[in-house]
Amino acid sequence: MRQAHRAASVIAALCGSIFLLFLVAPIARLIGAGGAEGLRHLFTDAELRSALALTALTATSATALAILGGTPLAYLLERRRFRGRALLAAVIDLPLLIPHPVAGIALLLVLGRRSLVGGTLLDLGIRVVGSPLGIVCAMLFVSAPLYVSATREAFARVDVRYEAVARSLGDPAWRAFRRVTLPLSSRGLIAAGVVVWARAVSEFGAIVILTYNPKVASVLSYDRFTSYGLDEALPVAAVLAILAFVPLFLLRTLRASSGAAAFVQ
Amino acid sequence: MIAAEGLSARVGEFELAQVSFVVPEGKYGVVIGAAGSGKTTLLETIAGVIPMKGGVLKLGGRDMKGVPSEQRNAGIVYQHGYLFPHLSVAENVRYGALDFTFADAIAARIGASELYAREVRGLSGGERQLVAIARALAPRPKVLLLDEPFSALDPRRRTLVRREVRRVARELGITVLQVTHDFTEAGLLGDVAILIDAGRVLQSGPPERLFREPASPYIAEFLGAENVYAGEVRYLDDAAPDFVDDARELLALGHRAIEFLAGGLRLYTVGDAPAGQGHAVIRAEEVLISAMAQESSARNQFKGVVSEIATTGALTRVTVEISSGGGKSAPIVAALTTHSAQELALREGSEVWASFKAMAVHLC
Repeated sequence: MRQAHRAASVIAALCGSIFLLFLVAPIARLIGAGGAEGLRHLFTDAELRSALALTALTATSATALAILGGTPLAYLLERRRFRGRALLAAVIDLPLLIPHPVAGIALLLVLGRRSLVGGTLLDLGIRVVGSPLGIVCAMLFVSAPLYVSATREAFARVDVRYEAVARSLGDPAWRAFRRVTLPLSSRGLIAAGVVVWARAVSEFGAIVILTYNPKVASVLSYDRFTSYGLDEALPVAAVLAILAFVPLFLLRTLRASSGAAAFVQ
Repeated sequence: MIAAEGLSARVGEFELAQVSFVVPEGKYGVVIGAAGSGKTTLLETIAGVIPMKGGVLKLGGRDMKGVPSEQRNAGIVYQHGYLFPHLSVAENVRYGALDFTFADAIAARIGASELYAREVRGLSGGERQLVAIARALAPRPKVLLLDEPFSALDPRRRTLVRREVRRVARELGITVLQVTHDFTEAGLLGDVAILIDAGRVLQSGPPERLFREPASPYIAEFLGAENVYAGEVRYLDDAAPDFVDDARELLALGHRAIEFLAGGLRLYTVGDAPAGQGHAVIRAEEVLISAMAQESSARNQFKGVVSEIATTGALTRVTVEISSGGGKSAPIVAALTTHSAQELALREGSEVWASFKAMAVHLC
């Protein structure tokens, strides 16, 4: 019995190690091969710096918009029961299943200069395709479902009776949300924001259709690879991998500290 | 005042249906029921947490149809307290209060102010309940809804807090509706008791009446009546024993002398139950045990043998098997003080007399 248990432990450890190696090896190899060079490039390569700044700016904008629009939607889906709720949830999740270049094409159909929306915006002097706004739209489209899903989960962890008590004490729905639900779900909401930001930073497929130029970091690494080969693409890719690690580490730290904070009694 | 008329609500598959009762202004109502009977659902419907599906609900005479929770002036305290963990204890107490001095004074009376220096997460279940009660009272609600609010308190603290909540409610004119499954608590606190089962009110009224005059054998057994007999109601009229004359006032009101036959037991009472099949309920507290037959004949009296003695602190429950002939017997349970049981030197197998007044027999 004990031998069988030991054998199972060894097999599990082996499988886990191979899996971990599969995940870590490419990133480690990438950073090992181009990390130092990439960090040096940060001081010498203006196009790389510009791409990274644009990536950070557009990803942050997309995250802000996801928070603004996604939070009430997630709250509605989690707390209210209404006809068509399941359909609405499925529609919001849809961008997760669409290949990202297809998402880019779909966005182009709605926001392109020949479309009603894109044409009208262009008449108003707002250019979407081929501009940072197009990048924000592409990032938002592919990452917003993740935000809504994670935020719903965060709200679900807060027992609805906290709100019931707050309202019985005189708070209207909005004030109960602000004073109770929001603080109790804040860690989950921040974690959701970090996920969206990280997803937006790594987006390529939809952006490349909507806005090739100006280039975000993912497009720049692809551009360097196709134009100059692996050696030129490596430093850019390595820097992107290093910078992507920061929000992920932040996210895991947040999750660990909020692990015991499920406000369900 | 809390007045429900045909109130109904639905939560998933569970339905609260046609609930009607009244707790007068400033009085204390108690909802009794088994787990899953709909007690909490009823409180949440009154608080506006669960939307009404039908019927009329009035709080303080005002129709609550379409009135949001925050405008009902009804505080709710859940069994688990639901203290806001991101706030301090004092901030919890003062959450809905307009007057912090009053909130702190209430907290002091309930015993929650001594917890101000503690972290919410470090409070015990009982301490959480104290803070939750103080928090609900602090905004001076017109209605207070309590869902087993004293369940986590130790017996001594429970008695003190129960008394203080009742006192504060009286002083502030708050109408209270409390959920409990503790019959003693229901009897101690309640001006009105509401018995609920499967989302329906089985009976409501003064607790004393529910306990003494249950509307059905199910209610009697649910409320802890040990002597419930199925049998036949027969009118006696002139053939009634003399002791039935005790109930002259009832007879004058049109009630009739009744003989109730349950197996070999022949019980006498006065009532307005229809003739035919029915149930008789006698609370154990109404049954007297004596070593000798009572000289007065003014009661139902049976000779039997003690078959079981169960002592729980100051009370002892004695089961007496009454022989009804043909090898059959019927049990009668009596509740007497342990001191009395010791004085009678009761043993299993002792021959004793069990007696009770005609008016102690309730037919339903």
